Amino acid sequence: MKRLVAIVEDEAALRDNYAAAFSREGYAVRTYADRAQAMQAFSTRLPDLAVIDISLEDEPEGGFELCRQLRALSAELPIIFLTARDSEIDAVSGLRLGADDFLTKDLSLPHLIARVNALFRRVEALRQPSVASDIIHRGALTLDAERMQAQWDGKVVLLSLTEFWIVHALARHPGHVRNRQQLMDAANVVLDDNTITSHVKRIRRKFQSVDPKFDAVQTVYGMGYRWVE
Amino acid sequence: MSLRLKLLLLGLATLVLPWGGCNYAREMEAALREGERNSLQAVSQTIAASLQGRTDLLYRESPPPSDAQSTAQADTPPAGPADARDAGVLVAGPYDLKPLALTAAPLLDGYSEDWPHEPAAWAHFRKDAHHHFDVLSGVFERMLYVLLEVHDEHPVFDAPGGNTLDPATFGDRVWIGLQDQEGEEHQLFLAATGPGALNARRIETGEYGQQSAPVEPRVRAAWQSTKDGYRIEMRVPLSMIGSRFGVLVDDRDARGGVPVSYGSLRSDDLHTLGRLIVAAPDLGSYLGQFLQPGIRLAVSTPDGRVLARADALAQTVSLGSEAPILARLYRRFVDRPQDRQLIEAEAPIYDRDHAAVIGKLQVTQTPDRWIRLRDHALTRMLNFTLGTSIVAVIAMFAFAAWLALRLARLRRASESALTRAGLVTSFPETEVQDELGDVARGFSTLLSRLNEYTSYLRTLAGKLAHEIRTPLTIVRSSLDNLEAEQVSESARLYLERARQGSERLSAILLAMGAATRVEEAIGSAERVDFDLVAVLASAVAAYGDAFPARCLRSELPAHPVSLNGAPDLIVQMLDKLIDNAVDFSAAGATITVRLQLEAHSAVVEVENPGPPLPPHVEGRLFESLWQSRPEGDTRPHFGLGLYIVRLIAEFHGGEARAMNLPGGDGVRIAVRLAR
Repeated sequence: MKRLVAIVEDEAALRDNYAAAFSREGYAVRTYADRAQAMQAFSTRLPDLAVIDISLEDEPEGGFELCRQLRALSAELPIIFLTARDSEIDAVSGLRLGADDFLTKDLSLPHLIARVNALFRRVEALRQPSVASDIIHRGALTLDAERMQAQWDGKVVLLSLTEFWIVHALARHPGHVRNRQQLMDAANVVLDDNTITSHVKRIRRKFQSVDPKFDAVQTVYGMGYRWVE
Repeated sequence: MSLRLKLLLLGLATLVLPWGGCNYAREMEAALREGERNSLQAVSQTIAASLQGRTDLLYRESPPPSDAQSTAQADTPPAGPADARDAGVLVAGPYDLKPLALTAAPLLDGYSEDWPHEPAAWAHFRKDAHHHFDVLSGVFERMLYVLLEVHDEHPVFDAPGGNTLDPATFGDRVWIGLQDQEGEEHQLFLAATGPGALNARRIETGEYGQQSAPVEPRVRAAWQSTKDGYRIEMRVPLSMIGSRFGVLVDDRDARGGVPVSYGSLRSDDLHTLGRLIVAAPDLGSYLGQFLQPGIRLAVSTPDGRVLARADALAQTVSLGSEAPILARLYRRFVDRPQDRQLIEAEAPIYDRDHAAVIGKLQVTQTPDRWIRLRDHALTRMLNFTLGTSIVAVIAMFAFAAWLALRLARLRRASESALTRAGLVTSFPETEVQDELGDVARGFSTLLSRLNEYTSYLRTLAGKLAHEIRTPLTIVRSSLDNLEAEQVSESARLYLERARQGSERLSAILLAMGAATRVEEAIGSAERVDFDLVAVLASAVAAYGDAFPARCLRSELPAHPVSLNGAPDLIVQMLDKLIDNAVDFSAAGATITVRLQLEAHSAVVEVENPGPPLPPHVEGRLFESLWQSRPEGDTRPHFGLGLYIVRLIAEFHGGEARAMNLPGGDGVRIAVRLAR
């Protein structure tokens, strides 16, 4: 059975482009232009993954509301924000609402598909016992690449998909400096410096909420970041 | 020329006031002078009228004439017989003496140096070529002074020690004849036994006919020889003399010889032939009662010989205290030399019948009186007008300074009114209800419009980026989809071009939103203490790889420099500075990054060789959406790089400044960060 991807996007051309791409990848696609339509459909049947734009028709923050309602319906449903808005505040609020990723619209379709695939893979992996080969241990850090889950001192650190890939790229080769371009490639995103910086900042904060003494992600000014054990 | 100077010059125009005052003072002085002259004339006429007919005072001629012996009737009398007596007083006979009115008493020493030099006043008596003498007489304070210059080829002294009445002892002798107040004749003789003081003697006949020659103590004389004779100077009190006076010289060629007698006495009986035409001693005191300081009164004969004078010219009038320096300064502007001359008035003195002129009264006044009056008025007026001028100048200067101050405040406000945060709320002077207030209000309106416009511009980039992003995403996702379709090889080429174009577009979008994102980053930045030197060193090392065509040199302190701030932002700022330096320098150029420490700040400097800053970019370089780049640069720039530098510098409590290198062959951008 095909996985169902719901796309909530008020721009018809974009909506259809995304739908075509996901269909081509073998997903079943439902598209909605506004929140009312989407919620009506979701109350009957939940999709397997939702891609939501923040501003919907006449609701500038409709996507956030939709995310909240959807999260109330299901805790595990992967939700991706795909928006033209790229401000830090939007990203923070989107992720705080429980979205798995926050992406800007200049992301290319293959990158988007890669993320959706990855998220499905994680859902799959969470249902099965973990495979040891895909687990990286770096001191207190445990990274499960299949489940896309990070643990610090045995405690789960909730990372968005982009954040997980950044941590993964850094921790795979501790001590090696990863510049911003490398991190973007690893995370399948095209971001500017400030967004990378705020991603790193968010990662540190999330680890620090588990362990206040965390400082494994080090900035190498002018070059990038590295993982130190 | 500053406003202050202009108004100061305008204030100096009030100096016309004192100038006009000076002119007014001059005119006033002329009027005063005229008035003074008139009053002087009136005074002189009054005094002259009081002297009318007073021949007793003028000529010591009492009303009943005793001119029986007078030979002065030769000249034509002016009018009828009634006037003959008075006229006779005035017309001098050949034997008459007309003494000068002396201003000082001559010393009785036989020398003539202390006598006034007036050749016309001499009386000449001449017997023949070998026998003649000259007489000069003068009156001073109730004394008659007589100077005799006797021509004598053989001066002979009396025999010394002998009897002055023994004819054998007789040398040259001088006889004085005078008629006293009662009309009685007296004779005195002067006999010198040597040069120097000599006595006058009179001959007295005793009861039994014996004669003696006692000394007359009231008369003093002195004898001196001269190169052609001798000189006698003598003094006779006027109280001894009535109206007649004469001198006779007995010239002997040998002691005891027969004399040659000549002079104004009859040689046989020594009768006085000539009159002494001199004013009564009381005339001087009479004049004295009219005397005032600064005035000279003089009574003279109709032909101009001064009979008596009373002089107080030298006495000054005081008009109270005044600032002498100021007064002298003022006088320098007003005085004209001719103003200093004495003024004179003259009035004739008539005889009793008001028919003939018996004398003249001259009144002379110094200009001091009215000059002082004028000076007094002038000083007060000039003080007042100069004070007015000074006050006006000071007031104008203060007003100009105040205006300039307000203008400067307005200028400063208009320069700094527009900040990144928008318009400063309180624009000065807008409440004032004058023209400057209008200007300020105009400025305020203009600036608020400018503010609206710039804030629109500032948000434009962000808005544009946002609005373009959706259609661009449509294009890109369509291209992505198209790529999955079966397209021909030639179509793939166009596809690739379309993709390149869309990527460029998204790069542009990214650049346009940069400032907004930095502002966001600043808003959420956390301050930490970090080592600025380490951050800079690390960043500069990284730039060496990023820009292989440039040589990067860093001049950093050897010790750590702690700074409280956001190291990410500092690096971002340095990124922009280096980008800028790379853009404006040629390949192979050396870019210098320097950290200098000051008391409370750290200064990050980035220098690059290259074209100097054009003069007009001063101060605008760090504004948003502003750039000055050479023509032909096709890369997308939005003039945000240095604006971001400024934002980050301001976040760190500092500022960014750009300047040309001293050699003019490069540019330095200095960012001051507060420590």
